[in-house]
Amino acid sequence: MADLRLNLAGIESPNPFWLASAPPTNSGYQVQRAFEAGWGGAVWKTLGDPILNVSSRFAGVSFNGQNMAGFNNIELITDRPLEVNLKEIYETKKRFPNHAIIASLMVEPTQEKWHEIVKRVEEVGVDGLELNFGCPHGMAERGMGAASGQVPELVEKQTMWAKEAAETPVIVKLTPNITDITFTAEAAVRGGADAVSMINTINSLAGVDIDSWDTIPNVAGKGAHGGYCGPAVKPIALNMVAECARHRNINVPISGMGGVSSWREAVEFMLMGATGVQVCTAAMHHGFSIVEDMKDGLNNYLDDKGIGSVMDLVGKSVERYSDWGNLDLNHQIVAKINNDVCINCNKCHIACEDTSHQCIDMLKDENGNDILRVREEDCVGCNLCSIVCPVDGAIDMVDYDNGKPPMTWNERQAAIGATASCDVKLVK
Amino acid sequence: MSSYREFALEREKIDFLLEQGYVMTAVTENLSGAFIEFTYEGNDPKKEKKERLQILHPDSRKYFSTILFQQQKQTK
Repeated sequence: MADLRLNLAGIESPNPFWLASAPPTNSGYQVQRAFEAGWGGAVWKTLGDPILNVSSRFAGVSFNGQNMAGFNNIELITDRPLEVNLKEIYETKKRFPNHAIIASLMVEPTQEKWHEIVKRVEEVGVDGLELNFGCPHGMAERGMGAASGQVPELVEKQTMWAKEAAETPVIVKLTPNITDITFTAEAAVRGGADAVSMINTINSLAGVDIDSWDTIPNVAGKGAHGGYCGPAVKPIALNMVAECARHRNINVPISGMGGVSSWREAVEFMLMGATGVQVCTAAMHHGFSIVEDMKDGLNNYLDDKGIGSVMDLVGKSVERYSDWGNLDLNHQIVAKINNDVCINCNKCHIACEDTSHQCIDMLKDENGNDILRVREEDCVGCNLCSIVCPVDGAIDMVDYDNGKPPMTWNERQAAIGATASCDVKLVK
Repeated sequence: MSSYREFALEREKIDFLLEQGYVMTAVTENLSGAFIEFTYEGNDPKKEKKERLQILHPDSRKYFSTILFQQQKQTK
């Protein structure tokens, strides 16, 4: 039985699965239900001046029968007065003293406002604070959330103001709606952040009803952009976590989120540098009880790997992530079709012929049966055939020894540059 | 359609010049691919002093640059 306990910048929780600040953490009733179900922590739905919401608020994006492959919302921060939330936080913390409760905060970008809310929230015994610089809709129109989170100077300054008043660890939650998230992550670190979290939701419009021509979702026939999350955003989130994790100036823990639906994504995020994960869409889709499978799966995975503590996973894959210019141009893999498993659907042939490098031939074997064969010398190892193949084990991508030494793009360009500057004269 | 044949032809041309005593002395890369300038360093007066190859195929461009890279590593 592995040790699932987490420590993120001094915030301890019995496991690495936290509910993200969102509708599932709107009230004490919900957070207590979540803790009863087994969640290790919860980031309380963002506190600030109570807002007004619209109806409707959510839209699911389905793909090929997969419900909620993506999820869009136009709901804002808490619509309840601060006192009500604080009372419920206090009661919840009293009942679950070993679980992590982090208060998500959003106020106007002034020093006084940050000092006020930090002090009031810490009085009820939260374990940490998460500054919401990421919410892309509604609040951003009022200069908060993503609007301030897209400006590094504002991230730095507001983090500093929060830190001036804070006694608990301060996590800065970043928006993905920016060209390079490391700029704002660095700003958070300069402001004194104890940790960063990412990603908040991505600017989105879930769809347009092609019969009514209304947007999805819409409010009395009118729509506004929302925030996108769910399984579809995982690759975007994972990259942002990884880019921050490998950045030399971002040396604080990262709380990862964005499409975590099972223990597998949690492992991926932690390997890429996240100290624990936050979850929202999967809980909204399946309920709080999904955390049981998450904990069991993670525990089994760690046991299988012989890893004693979940903390030992953090960052183990970061050194394997680099810039494209550092990849080996001479490494070669090729597709190998196993005709005893292949069902001759020809999807690989079509994909290769139409959209890749035309290296899969449709042939007959000695008995006249249809077979597919890869011309290895023409295969560029793009993986497309194995991706479109509907049958497990029908196509393997295998290493191909071309006898060439490893050479990266950066090394190649340096070698060519050396000839231009007459540094070398070369013969075979 | 085999793209490998195009590569093999270009590789042959590169190998031929190198075997004849030419050395790669300059490489220019632009929208049209790579242009390699070869300079003859042997003793045969009948040989052209300079030869130039345009290399189109990506595998050939990897090929000649791998030779450059390897040789530079060896001479360091």
